[in-house]
This record gives sequence, C-alpha cells and structure tokens, in this order.
Amino acid sequence: MKGLLNRIRMEMETTVVLFCIGLFAVMGLLTALLPKVLGNIHEMFDRLPLIKPLITAMLGVDPGENISAQLSQAFLWTHPTVLTLIWAWELMYCSRLPAGEIDRGTADFLFCLPASRYRLFAAETLGWLASGILLLLYGYAGHIVATSFVHPEMRLTTRSTLLVLSNLGALYLAVGGLSFLCSSLSDRRGRAIGAVFGVLLASFLLNFLAQFQDWAKAINWLSMMEYYRPAIIIQSDEFPTSDVCVLLAIAAAAWTASLAIFCRRSICTV
Amino acid sequence: MELGEFPNLTFPAARECLCFGWVRQAKSLGKFTFLQIDFFPRILLDMAILQTHQLTLSYGSRRGIQQVSLQIEAGRIFGFLGPNGAGKSTTIRVLTGLLKAHSGTAQIFGLDCWTQGALIRRDVGYVPGDVRLYPWLTLARGLDFLSQVRGRDLHRQGLELAERFALEPHLSVRKMSRGNRQKTALILAMAHQPRLLILDEPTSGLDPLMQDQLMQCLREQAQQGSTVLFSSHTLSEVEAICDRVAMIRQGKIVEDSTLAELQARAPRKIILTLPEDSPAPEPLPPNIEVLWQPTSDNAGRPSTADALLLAGIPPEQRPRTWVLQIRGPSKSFLQWAAAQPFSDVVLGPPSLDALFRRYYETDEPHETPPTETPAVEMPAVETPAVETPAGARS
Repeated sequence: MKGLLNRIRMEMETTVVLFCIGLFAVMGLLTALLPKVLGNIHEMFDRLPLIKPLITAMLGVDPGENISAQLSQAFLWTHPTVLTLIWAWELMYCSRLPAGEIDRGTADFLFCLPASRYRLFAAETLGWLASGILLLLYGYAGHIVATSFVHPEMRLTTRSTLLVLSNLGALYLAVGGLSFLCSSLSDRRGRAIGAVFGVLLASFLLNFLAQFQDWAKAINWLSMMEYYRPAIIIQSDEFPTSDVCVLLAIAAAAWTASLAIFCRRSICTV
Repeated sequence: MELGEFPNLTFPAARECLCFGWVRQAKSLGKFTFLQIDFFPRILLDMAILQTHQLTLSYGSRRGIQQVSLQIEAGRIFGFLGPNGAGKSTTIRVLTGLLKAHSGTAQIFGLDCWTQGALIRRDVGYVPGDVRLYPWLTLARGLDFLSQVRGRDLHRQGLELAERFALEPHLSVRKMSRGNRQKTALILAMAHQPRLLILDEPTSGLDPLMQDQLMQCLREQAQQGSTVLFSSHTLSEVEAICDRVAMIRQGKIVEDSTLAELQARAPRKIILTLPEDSPAPEPLPPNIEVLWQPTSDNAGRPSTADALLLAGIPPEQRPRTWVLQIRGPSKSFLQWAAAQPFSDVVLGPPSLDALFRRYYETDEPHETPPTETPAVEMPAVETPAVETPAGARS
C-alpha cells in the first residue's frame, strides 16, 4: 500500500498543491471582497432582474431585496469559482482509475503490479480523501485569514463555518463517488469526466429552473445542489443532517458500485 | 515467500522439501498441498508453470481468441508467434488478469489468473506490447516504487540490468527515446527475477546490440530456472531463442511444437550445380521437389521468382543449376545425390520461415501443419551448408 500511495503522491502532489493554493487565494479574496460587492446588490437586482433567481438558486433561499452580511458569506461557499476549483480537482483525480490509466496506456503497467484491484482502489480512495481534506482545509484557511480584513459584524461564527464545511465535504464525497463510478464504467477519461460534468451541470440547471418552473421544483430532489445549502445552515445554525445523509448515501452507493465494477471488469487496452 | 497451491505435488514430497529448508510451511488440504515457499527447486514441482485450457474470449463482434490451450513447463523459453491481430496480446492479457475469459481456464503456478492474479503477479514480470510508462517515472524512481510494492529491495539487480542495457537510471520517461522506454520496462519486469517472464514483442524499439543483450539476459534467466513466454511476430528472434513455439492465427492455436520438431518438418533448399555437358539428374525422390531447373525457356532470361532463387549464383553457372526443396529427413536426398554427377551442392538450413509464412499468408487457419510448397524465398546460397556429401562444398 505504501508503494501505491507513493505513486499517487509522485504523480499528483504538484497538482494538489496548486489547487490548494488556488482555493486558498480564491476563498481569501471572496471572503474579503464579497461583503463589499453584495452590499449594494439591490441596485444590481433593479438593473438585472435575472441576477436574483440566479443567486437564489445558488444560495438555496430567497435573499430578499438586500443580502445580509451573513448571507453574503454563504454566497462565498457557493461561488462558482470555489465549486469549480474543488470539482475540477475531483474530476481530474477520480477519473484516473481505471479510465485515465486505460486512456493513456499505463493500465498494463499499473494493473500488472502484484496488488489486487481492491488494494489499488483503496489506495486511490485514500489519496482522494486526503487531498479532499487538504483542499477544504486550505479553503478554510484562506477564509479565516481573510476574515481578519472583514468587519466583525460580517464574520461568520466558527461553528457556522464548520457546519458549512461539513456540508461541502459531503458534497465533495458525493461528486467524487460519482466520478469514480463513471470512471469505472468507462475506458475513456474524457467520457467519464463529461458524464460527471453533465450531472453537475444538470444539477445546477435544475436548481435554477426550480425558481421559475413548477415541474423543475417537483423534481429538484434529483439535483445534487438541493442538498448543499450553506445559506440555510448559516441562518439556522444547525447541522444539515438530512442533506449530509443524502450526499453521503450517494457517495457510498456510487463508491461501492464503482469498486464492485472496477474489480470485476476486464481492462481492455486494445 | 508466498503461499501457493500445487495440485501435482504430493504432501510427503513437500514435507521433504520442508526438511531441506526450501519451504517454510506445508499444509495438506484435500488433494492440494499448500506451501509457503522460501526457495523451491522447480524441477521437483513437476508441473506446468503456465497452463490454459480452451481459453475463449471475444470483443463483441470482433474476434478475440478461441479455445486456446497452452502448456509451458518450468525453465522453458516459449515462443508465441502470430501475425498482427492474431490474438497474442489478448491471450497475454488474460494471463496477466487484465481480461476475463468468457470460457476456459488460465492458470499460472497452478493459480487462477483472474481470481488470484495479485498472488500470481508477485512472481511474474510483464512487458506489454505497447510500452507506456508514467512520464515522471525514471528507472531509479521505478525501482523505488517497485521495491515498495514488491516488498524487497530491487535496486541492486535493477541497476545491474541498467548497466547491461546502457540505460541512464535518472532519465525521466518523458525525455526517453522509444528504445529507452522499452529498456526501462524490461528492467522493471526483470529486476525481481521473476519465475515467469511474459514479454509481448520485447525487442520492438531496441537496436540490434540491445536485442542481443536481451536474448542473453533471457537465456540466463532460463538457466536460473525462470520461464519465459516470448511473444513476437518475428520468426527469426523466436527461432533464435525459444525451445518451444506455439503459433496463433485468427485467435486459434495452429501450431504448438518444439523447435526441433519444427526444424525436422521445415523445408530446406538445395542448390545443385551440374558439370558442363553432363546428363540430366535421375528422377528425384518423392520428398524433393524442383523449384527451378534450367530449360530452354528459362535458361536465357529467368523470371522474377526464378531470379530470386538464383540470386548469388554466377550467370554462367545458371544454365547448369537446379534449385530443389526437400522436406523431412535428408537421407533420401543424400542417397540420390551420391549417384548424381553434380559438381557442387549447397544444402541450406531448415527454413522455419517458409513453414510459418504459409500460416501468415493463407486466409483460413490450418489445423494441421502445411505440406505444400511454401512461397518462394531467397535461396540459401549464402548460408553455410549443414550437410555436405562427399565432393560437395558448403
């Protein structure tokens, strides 16, 4: 296992460090700048009416005419740049085994090592979890560092931040599990990434359409974003048990299915 | 050190080995004997290292392999021949546990290749046909990594091999030529001195000197008891190193014989030069056929095929030259030749190329070895004579 983990480290350490630094910087900047930008959001609502449903879709709650200081912090955790960075990392990492290995032709080398596929998958999963923790910690650190530049009234409590972080962690697991599943089902990394990207895009779209369309609202439970609602967590200051449970269930089901498929499938490299 | 399963080994024999300290632990369970091995002389095992039975796999509508049955004993260098797309790599991928066969069985060291692949791969070295390695990998890093994965230090053997193959250990794959990537893969496959080496077209990308070095390495490995499965579509390299050859064509095994058996069946070319004004030779024995003979039609201007046969023969000798082909034992030829007034005879080596070329060229796979005349090839005038009757030159 040590050797397999070392392989992952050698291959991914530079990339994960870059993503961590990127997330640190983005979280820091957004934490510092968003309250100022969103302070005059009612003017923007007047000028661009479509902005409000978009923000509502992102936050999961109606912000009203003015976005409060705390809600502006919630916007930080749902900002597309933050989610894009986290998901880009996940899509890149979780699509490597086996689709990525087959795609670039290194499957012969990796799968002919004296390690069972369970062990290979376990090593890959450990790398995924470790990098996820690192990524979220860097994001959190960026937020904390930048908080010192924000007016005290606009700061989130540590408890609220950690609750949002736990919800984001559950979302990370769900998206990663889904990526593993698509990768296990595919021989082409591009297809695997495309499939997960499609699911995420559909989730966003459904969440957005649910603001206007009843039919979309009725099936919004299918959207993964429905279970990631930082604004509600910040408002209620309660652990989002049901949302986290749903996301963890998706993650567990997808991960288990991908493990089962990966261990049983033929690796066709011709 | 591993736990293996050897159905053909009796428990008393295993216990005897235990007394010699070769085996750490031996347990009998039903008809199987389980051994935890430190060192074990393979000859005692009396078993096939690799065995497939009626192995079948298809890629949907595409042909894969059909009822492939192979058996390779310990210490052999087994040639696995076949044209491109014949099913060599598919068979190998089933053996390495990458592909699951639709029917049939594949076993290495008596273990199932699909369900016990990880255990098998501890003692197997594999070089794929199309070597692709991680761009960041260097030989030194690869040895570090494999030492950790295999649980033993491979640096000494790996660096020795690197010296033999003239490979810089700290050069990364992204900066390597194709030949160097091939060398890296070979070294990483051989560094742990595996009991079985599976090599899929291992010489591709290597220069002739390195090919020789590889052949030498493989011979040494075989002398030390390792078994080699050498897959190739080039007959000459298989002929140079292997002691048994199987040929696969359109997914089916069409030939599986020792090299000696094949050589006995392979045709040889004979170039016979008669003295001037000598009478025509007596009728030929049945196992000899005439590929070219001087006639009034062709003596002056030979056709392209005839020209190939006569290449290397001085033009003034051509009107007196016969090119013959013999199959099977050469005794009948020698008896016949003793009575002929020839001035010179050159007897070529057995042409396995001619034997196998037929498999490559015909559409339908053969179930039995071919008996007809193979396609015309270059005459054996430049090769040393193998057998020369009295008065003949080589």
